[in-house]
Amino acid sequence: MCASAVRRCGLVVALGLLVAAGSAFGHTIAGDDATFVQGIVGPAVGPFIYLGAKHMVTGYDHLLFLVGVVFFLYRLKDVVLYVSLFTLGHSLTLVGGVLGGLAVDAHLIDAVIGLSVVYKAFENIGGFRLVFGIEPDTRIAVVVFGLFHGLGLATRLQAMALSPDGLLENLLSFNLGVEIGQVLALLFVVALLFRWRLSAGFSRQAFAANSVLMFAGFLLTGYQLTGFLLPYLRVTVA
Amino acid sequence: MSAGPDSGDSARRILIATGIALAAALVTLVAFVLPAEYGIDPLGSGRVTGLLALAELEKDALAVDQRPYAPDQVAFRLEPFESVEYKYRLETDQALVYAWRASGDVVAELHAEPDGAPEGFAESFRRSRGASDQGSYRAPFAGWHGWFWENRGVDAVTVELEAAGFFSAARTYGGGRVSERVLVPGVEKAAGDSAVDG
Repeated sequence: MCASAVRRCGLVVALGLLVAAGSAFGHTIAGDDATFVQGIVGPAVGPFIYLGAKHMVTGYDHLLFLVGVVFFLYRLKDVVLYVSLFTLGHSLTLVGGVLGGLAVDAHLIDAVIGLSVVYKAFENIGGFRLVFGIEPDTRIAVVVFGLFHGLGLATRLQAMALSPDGLLENLLSFNLGVEIGQVLALLFVVALLFRWRLSAGFSRQAFAANSVLMFAGFLLTGYQLTGFLLPYLRVTVA
Repeated sequence: MSAGPDSGDSARRILIATGIALAAALVTLVAFVLPAEYGIDPLGSGRVTGLLALAELEKDALAVDQRPYAPDQVAFRLEPFESVEYKYRLETDQALVYAWRASGDVVAELHAEPDGAPEGFAESFRRSRGASDQGSYRAPFAGWHGWFWENRGVDAVTVELEAAGFFSAARTYGGGRVSERVLVPGVEKAAGDSAVDG
């Protein structure tokens, strides 16, 4: 790959992010992208970085979780720490999961991801501390949920029957793309949160916002659990 | 993180917020998401809001057909510069799977005549030159759908067509006239094929 190809990839990523910012494609690697990935034989660094970034920026469940994680992180140092922990978690299961052939039902994984949103939002409003009198270590929770997020990605990538030729390069590229997408999404989120915190009604609004996050998390969980149960439901319905 | 002095009050507030979030999520799920995504509509809200149609769309992947299954196999010979057409009667959205092979290069065109169209009008889907083609076709309108073949070589060519669908009638166009053709199911394969290996 020459330098111009790399530059072109960068441009494509930037354009993709602009497009993605205004739309929500949902969670899957779908349609033409999936067809393209299945056709790849050998290392394809640029496309996989792009797809990883696209997946992160257009995956509303990942984004909701990240919003929850950084909601009360005031210092950039903490943002970097927590995001690194999340990255550690999902990199392990993304690369390890695909190489080791570890796959779990995608609906179940996504239901857990929905619950991770609820968990973080509940913690943000002080739920664990004030209702249960416990303070679970957020850092451990972030790593654990990172593991689940990565497992979800690994499951999806495996469903696409990737070519073994260049697999490791492509996985690492995809993982790198996920990081790039995550950082870009966080730039938006952190900037908006920073402004929001300066406004007068923040603490009251923060409670409401995290309640909305819980709502979204519950909704995602119900949606995915129904998807998981559907084959069993259909038998009785039909 | 409001570490208020009255933590009992805060706890109640948190539980209420969580309960509302859960209840609102369940209502949204059952009333809107399930009808739109999965076609499950226990409250009838999907029908009222029209969201149910979103789930119906995905069912287009499958088209159950009650008409009899009709495999058809035909072989014919084309003399130099002779042409012929073989067509099937298909209703809108009816599908057809086909494969044809020729002993030499022929000019072929997959096309269809819509019902009620003027004489000689046809919509063309694929023109090719070669010794074989295969694919699946879904009729965009009701009418007669099939192929035109022409042998532009100097030697006679044999063409074998296999097609399967749920059509009930076939036609041949050649030598200046149209004739109805009886469908011929493919030759039964040898009994040994049904043995399960391994």
